[in-house]
Formats: sequence, structure tokens, C-alpha cells
Amino acid sequence: MPKLRIDNREVEVAAGTTLLAAAAKLGIRIPALCHLEGCDAQTSCLVCLVKVNGGSRLVPSCATVAVEGMVVESETAEVRSFRKAAIELLLAEHAGDCYAPCENVCPAHMDIPTMMRNIEAGDLRAAVATVKKAIPLPATLGRICPELCEKGCRRASRDDSVSICSLKRYVGDKDLAKGGGNSPYLPECKPASGKSVAIVGSGPAGLTAAWFLRQNGHAVTLFDDHPLPGGALRYAIAEELLPRATLNAEIDLIRALGSGEGVTFVMNTRVDAGKMAELKRDFDAILLAAGPVDQEKAAALGADYVGKGIKVDRKTLQTQEPKVFAAGSALIPLQHAIRAVADGKNAAKHMHAFLIAEAREQGGGGEFASRMGRLTDAEMDRFFAETPTFPREIPHRGGGGGTKDGLSDSQAVREASRCAHCDCSKLDSCRLHDVAMSYQANPARYRGTRREFQRQSVHPLIVYESGKCILCGLCVAIASRAAEPLGLTFIGRGFNVKVGVPLNAEFSKALERVARECVAACPSGALDLRYDAPAERDANPPIRLSLPQLRT
Amino acid sequence: MSEEVDLAFVDMIVAKLGDGPESLIPILQAMQEHYRYLPAEAITRLCAISRIAPAAVSGVSTFYSQFRHHPVGKHIVKVCHGTACHVKNAGVVEDAIRRHLHMEPGQETDACGEFTIERVGCLGCCTLAPVVQVDEVTLGHTAPDTASQAVEEAARQPPALPGSGVESGTGTPDSERPRIHIGVGSCCVAGGSQAVRTTLEEAVRRMGIDVLVKPVGCVGMCHQTPLVEVVDGGVAGRGGASALYAKVTEEEAAAIVRRHFRPAGVLKKMTLAAASLIDRLMGEESEQVRLARHAIDVRDKPVDDFLGRQRRLATEYCGSLNPLDIEEYMSHDGFVGLRKCLELADSGKIVEEIKGSGLRGRGGAGFPTGVKWERALVAAGGGGADKYIICNGDEGDPGAFMDRMILESYPYRVLEGMIIGAIAIGARQGILYIRHEYPLAVKRIRAAIERCRERNLLGENILGSSYSLDLRVMEGAGAFVCGEETALMASIEGRRGMPRLRPPFPTESGLWGKPSCINNVETLAMVPWIIRHGAAAFAAFGTKASKGTKVFALTGKVRRGGLIEVPMGITIRQIVEDIGGGVANHRQFKAVQIGGPSGGCIPAELGHTSVDYESLRDVGAIMGSGGLVVMDDHDCMVDIARYFLQFTQAESCGKCTFCRVGTQRMLEILTKLCAGEASRDDLNKLEELCGLVSRGSLCGLGQTAPNPVVTTLRYFRHEYEAHLKKQCPAGQCKALIKYQVTDECIGCTRCAQECPVGAIPLTPYQKHEIDTAGCTRCDVCRRICPANAITVASPC
Repeated sequence: MPKLRIDNREVEVAAGTTLLAAAAKLGIRIPALCHLEGCDAQTSCLVCLVKVNGGSRLVPSCATVAVEGMVVESETAEVRSFRKAAIELLLAEHAGDCYAPCENVCPAHMDIPTMMRNIEAGDLRAAVATVKKAIPLPATLGRICPELCEKGCRRASRDDSVSICSLKRYVGDKDLAKGGGNSPYLPECKPASGKSVAIVGSGPAGLTAAWFLRQNGHAVTLFDDHPLPGGALRYAIAEELLPRATLNAEIDLIRALGSGEGVTFVMNTRVDAGKMAELKRDFDAILLAAGPVDQEKAAALGADYVGKGIKVDRKTLQTQEPKVFAAGSALIPLQHAIRAVADGKNAAKHMHAFLIAEAREQGGGGEFASRMGRLTDAEMDRFFAETPTFPREIPHRGGGGGTKDGLSDSQAVREASRCAHCDCSKLDSCRLHDVAMSYQANPARYRGTRREFQRQSVHPLIVYESGKCILCGLCVAIASRAAEPLGLTFIGRGFNVKVGVPLNAEFSKALERVARECVAACPSGALDLRYDAPAERDANPPIRLSLPQLRT
Repeated sequence: MSEEVDLAFVDMIVAKLGDGPESLIPILQAMQEHYRYLPAEAITRLCAISRIAPAAVSGVSTFYSQFRHHPVGKHIVKVCHGTACHVKNAGVVEDAIRRHLHMEPGQETDACGEFTIERVGCLGCCTLAPVVQVDEVTLGHTAPDTASQAVEEAARQPPALPGSGVESGTGTPDSERPRIHIGVGSCCVAGGSQAVRTTLEEAVRRMGIDVLVKPVGCVGMCHQTPLVEVVDGGVAGRGGASALYAKVTEEEAAAIVRRHFRPAGVLKKMTLAAASLIDRLMGEESEQVRLARHAIDVRDKPVDDFLGRQRRLATEYCGSLNPLDIEEYMSHDGFVGLRKCLELADSGKIVEEIKGSGLRGRGGAGFPTGVKWERALVAAGGGGADKYIICNGDEGDPGAFMDRMILESYPYRVLEGMIIGAIAIGARQGILYIRHEYPLAVKRIRAAIERCRERNLLGENILGSSYSLDLRVMEGAGAFVCGEETALMASIEGRRGMPRLRPPFPTESGLWGKPSCINNVETLAMVPWIIRHGAAAFAAFGTKASKGTKVFALTGKVRRGGLIEVPMGITIRQIVEDIGGGVANHRQFKAVQIGGPSGGCIPAELGHTSVDYESLRDVGAIMGSGGLVVMDDHDCMVDIARYFLQFTQAESCGKCTFCRVGTQRMLEILTKLCAGEASRDDLNKLEELCGLVSRGSLCGLGQTAPNPVVTTLRYFRHEYEAHLKKQCPAGQCKALIKYQVTDECIGCTRCAQECPVGAIPLTPYQKHEIDTAGCTRCDVCRRICPANAITVASPC
């Protein structure tokens, strides 16, 4: 039973225990991508490096066996910098986007590809939930949004972008139109946090912040000097563009959010210096979202003024006073409501982290996204290989009124099927993404020649995107252990090595027994289950679907 | 390409070599030998009839660079890109051949299917650089303006007979009998020694004289190949008068015989006199004058300098032993060490002797050999059958050929060392892992093993003792990383040569999980001498921590390149100046690259550095396996760093992140530097990557890969700085130089006629001009200009 020290803490482990396991015993979670319990150590990713006995080199903890008296460094700045470098080197050859370009372009980062799948599957309840994770006012914004997302759409350079904005409106409209027992969608809220938040201004930024803060269990009160909520949406946009009934209906959903009193709106109330002092006394956090401010107004709210708005820390949206945040046109006058929505969402996140210690720790990593940038023509072809080729039917908003009445159900399903799903289907379980986020890796740090984006969708159960593979070797090992007739193997060597099918056989024949196991073990988005893969317990062999249902 | 593939061969070879995974590499090698590439049908057949999984077959066949998956041209042109060849412009030679054959960069086979061009890491003929091999013919000292023609000519030569290079070599040579030695090491063969030998034998036969034409191993003076030595009797250097001829041609060989020996009969004398007279009447240069030019007096100062500082232990009796003559080896104390060990019959005592000698691994890292043996000896492996002794002959460093020469010239010495090692650790099985690029070494070792078996020096109960040992040869398949011991073992087991984490060390868990002791060729070749003369005699050579001698391949821009063996502690300058005769062509000694891709560049200012493990490590290099490439002021250090990174990047197994991606990024930055496109930020990132790759990589290849960059940055940072400003001070980086015509130009149009890309307009009697945009910097014009009117300039 060797005894050793990891980060100055002693631990005793059974003979033969790896440093990775020994650290886990102490509650130190060393990140590892190529490690799988029950599989031989691959020692390929080298993200689990540690330093042993002060040596100059670092060793993979997944394969280094604990020895009596060992002194191990794990969470030191130096060791962490090597792990971060390993992650960044992996990202440098990783050909894949975490998010679709449309999502990246959307200021509120709405999960557009998932919305498309939901619409295509006819699951509008799921669609509205997807949309409202980013935008609480889809029916409203779907009428006035500048379609920024559509400019990012990969299909825009091919024939024409997918009608994302109209589809978003469609989802919002269908949700509001529900009658009878089917009430419109309201997300679950966390139990009361005991914290209270005041939001000054009930425009798009304030409303959005209220929506997300309330979901986190905080008591939210909005203050506005107008008689009705909505801010610029109500007072700066013509009725024919944005019917007030739609706006009111969506605001009412925010009002109704959560149990008890929901979100409180205090109207006809001007927040001046005196009121501000009162809010600071009565609330745990305050968001200034009252639209454009001048120097005088900023001073009245007790905030510093710089440029054209309130001065905040750009990262946290915090003013010089820690409990006071600001968002929307209060920071800089905004052209588009969607930017105010994005700001409100962002402010809500930081305020939540400010109010709740746990959230601070969890959210410490911030955002992370791997991006491929420009694709070659060949890569574009691979993207669209399984996407129907029919053209966009719904005119752009600038193109003349075709969206006035919204889309029919069949139009919506058809249009949604034009999406090529440029996002990563495995983002939720991607361990590479997780470690990149927690180590705040910069994917561009060691950028150089990148691999090509590849997608093989011929297997009945799984999709293989080799550009995303980090060559961990787990699938090769699992297939070999299961004595797959063909299995997978490393082809070539060095930087050009890739995981492929032996004997140049088709990918569909590679994994007959352990496809799901390989998907589960794959630490990146390289191997994923098909969108249409049957559930595991389904004993029947998978049925090949025809286009355009054949999705990846 | 849909030719019927005859699959019966696959069945036959599997039946012969076995159907298990460990036979995979030999099977693939046999298949490639047969089909000249690996046809998909044959591979599928192999999977069908053997116990080898398709994943293993595809993984292995794409890992090793030996294996080809496409049909090849009639002739295979291997362009050596070893270090010595690189500094002597191998790239320009390859460009010229490609242009001639109308092949794009990267294109493997020409349109008519006549020639396939392969870039190889190192052919191990560094003193003949730049070297091109066409099928079996090796062309040395190639040049861009003549290479293409030489390749065509070589392709027309009939193929060599199978088995050539293996000598019958039995029967004790009569020491009183006059002899002519002819070098048959690879360098000599590449220099044309086979033809010279045939002529010598023919001349001796025609003259009817009793003279033995004796093939001998490497003489070491590889810059002078082929070498012929006439020994009137006795052993060269031990009294008998001898005369040495260098760079001997086929035509001159007969004349040498005539110069030294009288024909046997009167009739023969007359016939020969007439022939000789006719030769002279035909206007041939006087034999005597011509020969005098090539005769080297061993007492000459240069030869004395070359040989004087050397101490030969591993290469004992250099240039006088017939490599495969076992009787001769025995008459020169061969197997005396082995007999001593058998009499001793005490493993512990043998280990103690080796420990006492201070012998350290000659493969690079310098681990004490005795300690390794001791660990293998005490390793729990039960009986000897469960332990292995392995000879690492996977000498992959570009610019190094010591192990090749030792294997070719002293096969019995290596085997003797290995048998002693096996006795010391208690192994009953051994494997020599030799790279396939060394066919002569493989053939000789195989033949030597056979002869040892015949004499019971191998096999059951060696020489009647209780020790038994069986040895076999495994040919590497073209992967530098297999020099790393865990990768080497993976390769023997028939897998991709991917290293694994150590510990466990091979002495605990090695080949097939059994305790295994892996020693380098040169290390083992030292062992018989140590056992014979005792630990103290060996330890008398060298420094405090680095005992004995070390064999180096001295190449590059040095006047006298070759294979040398020197005591540890000699300085770099002594090697370069005294033994090597300094830098050739009146250039300036700038640096030596020592240790190959894992080593570093030591500047001339540090020429006083002692050659021992610690001193070399302190200056940023490593002993490595012993490649020593001399560089002059025309060698660009950024280009050299790029060259080595290109090598390690291509040889990285691709397993661990730091090496796979890190070396690729480093290479990309170095390539940008050489193109004058790098920024300060790139340079900073390069330095950062050096630290990450060296400290984070899993095995020795990655850990040492940054060394060439680190040392050139340390000693030649100003050159990196210059490249940031788009300047190449050494005038090497093609993108940063241009060719210019000076006022010396006489307007002869030769450059215009020879320029392969038409970048020089044909303007008789006018000063020529070079179109820089069209110029490919192939150097042809500068080489052929009769007025030396073409110079290389940095454009900025």
C-alpha cells in the first residue's frame, strides 16, 4: 500500500494504482480524454499530465503507477499550463465547429440547428423550449429581427440561407396560439433562492434579464416610468410591424413565470437618485436597463459615464458598484432589439453568479467554441451531402411582405429540412469541449494547417467526422477487444495519422458490435449516434431512412 | 492496374513464415519483395488465411514507410535526404531529377511508369553525399547538372545477382601469402568496389600469380572509396610493407596489380607487356603517373593524422578482416572473450566486469550497460527461456552509419558481444533488429549466425557448456521511432512501432511481457574487447564518467570524412581539424551537428568541448548514436533546424499530442522563417513549443525533437533574427536569395543553354541576366560558369 503526496496531501492507495486514480481518491479531478475505465491506458492525449518528484518532464497520470514516497504536483500553475497547452494543441488540429455559424452570429446564441430538428420532427413544444433558452420574445423578435443569423448561415453562400427568422416567429406564434388545455410554454423555475433583484427598465434587455433571473429562483421586480412594459418595442416600433397583442402575450408569459407572484412589474415609476438608494437598500442586485442614458441620468443612477453610456466591466456588466449591473442601450445605444435581448441574457448570467456562490464556481470557465472558419468547396459539399437541395421558398423580410401571415406547418417543416446542421451534434457530451472550457483554452493559440472537415454518414447507427478525432485510440481498442470483424485502426503515422477502416473498406462495415460503445467512449464529436438511430433497447435492426429524413 | 494478382504467393509465404501477428512484418516484407508493392487483393488474402486481424494489417502496413500501396515504376530512385546529403544540396539534385522526368513535387511515379522517386531518411553513405540510389546501384557525389544522366545510365545496368555481398569467406588466409585488400563496406561498394574487385581477380588470374584478392570490411576512410591495399605479406601495419590506393577505378585496378607483381610465366609476361604497350600507344595516360595520383602512403601526414588519434576497439583490425571469415576472426582473438565467459560460468562476474568497465549505451542515452544487464539478470523471468537479449540495429539517424559499418564489417564481434550478454543475463533467445535499408548488414549477420551455429557458437549447449542461445534477425520496415526500445519491441511483436510509457522498463517487462535487455550494436561490439582485456583496460580510455572509445561517422563539409573511433574526451576541434583535416574548399568551420535529430549544433567557438556524455549534454547536444556532421559558413542554421524538424515530424508516430501536433507546428513556423514570412510572434511561439514538446512528450523522440532548434537558437539567434528581416546570411534559403551575374561574365551562353527552366535569355557576347522570378535556384548556372561570374545574393 504505497503512500504518496499529491499537491501536499498524503494518500495511501493499493499497489498498482495510477496517479489519476490516487488523485481522484483525494477529490482531485485530473482531466483526461483518452482514459477509459477498464481499457488499457492509451497515453495519447496527455491532458492528464502531472509532475513527479520535481522532475523537469511531465508524465501522464493515467499510466504512471503510484510508488511509495512519490511527490506529485497536479493543480500547480505549471502543470495546468501544460494541460492547457495539450488541449490547445488538440484544438489546433480539430476540424469542427462547436456551434453552427448561425448560432455564433446570433447575438443571443440561439440553438438554431436544434430548433430546426424540433420543427422538422413536428415537436413544437421542444422547439419553443429550445428557442426560449435564448430568446424569451420569439414571436416579437421574429417580426422585427434583422436576420443576422441568416447572414451566418452556410447555405447563404450556396443557394440561399434557411429562413431562420421566420421559423423562429413561427415557433413563437404557434406557442402563443395554443388554446384549451395546452397553455403556452413556461419553463420550470428553480426553488426560491431568497435573493431579490430590481430591474430598472422593462424593454427587451430588462424583460430578458427578468426571464432568466426568475428561472434561477430569484424574486424579480421591474420598474418602468411608462404605463406599459416593453420599452422601445412598444414605443419605437410601428403597430403594423409588431402587433401589440403579440408583444403583450409574450410579456404576459414573463409575468406569469414561476410560482407565487411571478415577475412583478411596477409601472409609472421613475427611478431617480432617491429611488435608486431605496432599491440598493431593498434588493440584493440591481440591473440598469432603462434604455439610452445621458451623463446626468447616469449620475442620478449612481453610475459612471463613459462614451455614450454607463461604464461597466465589459466581462461582467458590473458597474463600479458590485451589486449594480447594466445592460442594453444603457451601455451604448443599440440598433436592434436582439442585441438588447443578448445583453439581458448575459447580465442575468453574471448577476446570478454574483448572487449565488455555487454558480460563480461553475460558471468560472466562461464560454468556449471551436471554430473552423472558412470551408473549402469540398468541405461544403460534405456538409450538404445529405441535405435536400430545393430552394428557399420564404422571401427575406426585405424582399416584400411574404412573411406577413407567417408560415404554414408544411412550409415550416420543409424549410427546416434545408438546414445542414453545421453545429456539433455531440456538444452536450463532448469531453474535449468540457476541458477546453474549464481550462479556458484558446483554440487559435497553436493554429496552423488544419485538417479537413469530413463526415461519413454511411453507417446505420453512427456518424464519423474524422476531422474532429483527437486520436485517443479508444475506439480502436474497444473494437479490437470486441473482435470486430473489421473494426477500426490507425492509418498512417505522425501528423497525418487518422482513424479509419482497415482494408479501405466502407465505414458502414467498421463497427458491427460495439458502435454505441465507441460513441460513448469517444471524447470528442468524432463519433456520434445518428440523429435517427433507434433506441438501444430496440432489438430490430436500424431502418435506413430516405432523404430528406436522413439526417445526421 | 487491374492486373491479376497471383495470390498463391501469399499462401506460400504465410505457410513459410507463420500465420500469427508476430509474422506480419516479415510477411509484408516478403509480399512487397515479390509484388514490389502491397496489392489490396494480396492483403485481403492475407487477412483471410491468417490469424492476423485486418486492423493490424492496415495499421502496420501504413505505419512503416517501407510499405507501398501503389504499383511502382520499373526503377526505383531513392534520393537520400540524410544530413550530409542535405547540406550538400540533395534537394537541388532531387529537383533536377524530377524536372528531367517531368515529375511534380510529391508525384511518386512518372507518367510512363518508368521511374518511382522515393525520399529516404538516410542511406548511410554519408561520405559520398549527395547520394542517389537507382535500384541496386548507389551513385555518390551527385550534382544537379549530371544527376539525371547518371540515373538513366544506372537504370540501364543489369540487376545485381541475388546474394551478392555475402562472401564465401572460409579457409584460413595464409599470412605469408601476398594479398590485395579491397573494401566491401557499403561505402566502398557504392564507390564501385565490386567492379574493381572483379578486375583485380581477373588480373591476378591472367597473370597467374599467387595473390589473394581479399574482401575486407570498412577501412574507415570513406572519403577515399573504393580503397585498395596491397599487402606483400604479414598483416598491414604490423611490419609487412603495404601500399594503399584511394578512389580506384576499374581501369586502374589491373594497373595496380601489374605495378606490384610480376607475371608468373614468360609467355604471360610477354602477352601482358604487349597489352600494356598497346595501352600506351593508344595514348592513355602513363600508368605510373596515374597511379601515383591515387597512392596514399600510410606514413603520409594526412593519413597519419586521420588514423593517429584513433583508438580501435569496436572496429579493431579495421580494414584487414574479411567480414565473414570466421577462422580469420578467431585467429584475431575472436571468441576468446566468449570462451572466457563460458569458463567463468558466472553471470554475476560478467556483469561486474561490464559494470567495472564503465561502458555506457552507445545508442544515445548513455545508460550504464552493466546496470542494465544486472537488472535483466535479477528480473523475475524464471528460466532463461523467458528472457530476451535484443540488439538494436535500427540506426535511423540521418548522418550516421556506424552501426551499419560495424554490422557489415564485424558481424562476429557483434554476435560474440550478444552471446556474452545473453550468458550474463540468462537469456536463451535473442533478436537483432536491423533496418531494412541496410541489406548488406542483414545478409552478413544472417550468414554469420549460420556459421556460428555450424560451429556450435550458437544453439544448444554452446561449445559444450550449459548455455544455449538462439539468435534471429528481424528487419525493420522504415520507422525511425523504432530505435526507441519500447517501439522496437512493439515492432518485433508485429505491431505499429508506437512507444509506450516507461516504467515498466524492458528489463522488467519487455518483449511479450518478458524481461528484455536491449543494447545497441556498437555497445555489444565493445563487449568482447572488454572481456578480453579487462574492465580496467577499457576504463583507461576516456573521461571520468565516459569510458572507452566512441565510433563516429564524420561527414559533411569536412575534408576527410569517414568512420572513426576515438577515445572519449577528445575535443570536437581535434576531430574536425586533426582527423577530418578541417573544412573543405577553403570555407570556414561554423558548427558541428552531433547526435542527429535528437542532438544539437555546437558552434565552432565551442570546439574545445570534450566529447563525452555530460559535456555534450551541457552544451545542448547529445552523444546520440554518433553522427557528426560538419558545417561551414554556407550552411544556414535555420534551414538545418527546419531540416531536422522535418525529419522528426515525419517520423513521429503520431500517438501523443505534444509530439504529433507540436512538431508539426514547429515545422510550419520554421518553414515560414526560411521563406521569410515569419513574424516575431511566430518566433516566440517556436520557443514556447520547444519547451512544451521536450517536457511534455511521451518518448525520447518527442522529448529530444526540439534540440536542433534549441541549440541553433542558443548559438545562432542572429540568423533567426535575420530571417525575420527576410535575410539568409548563409545564402541557403531559396526564397531569400537570388542568383546574379557579375561583370566577369564573358557572354559564353553556357548558363543560358543549361538553365533547366529557361530563366536566362540567350544573349551571346553580352552580360547574361537571370530572371529571378523564373529562377528555381537549382545552382546549375553557378556550377558550370567557366568565368565564375555567377553569385548568390540576398535580395534585401
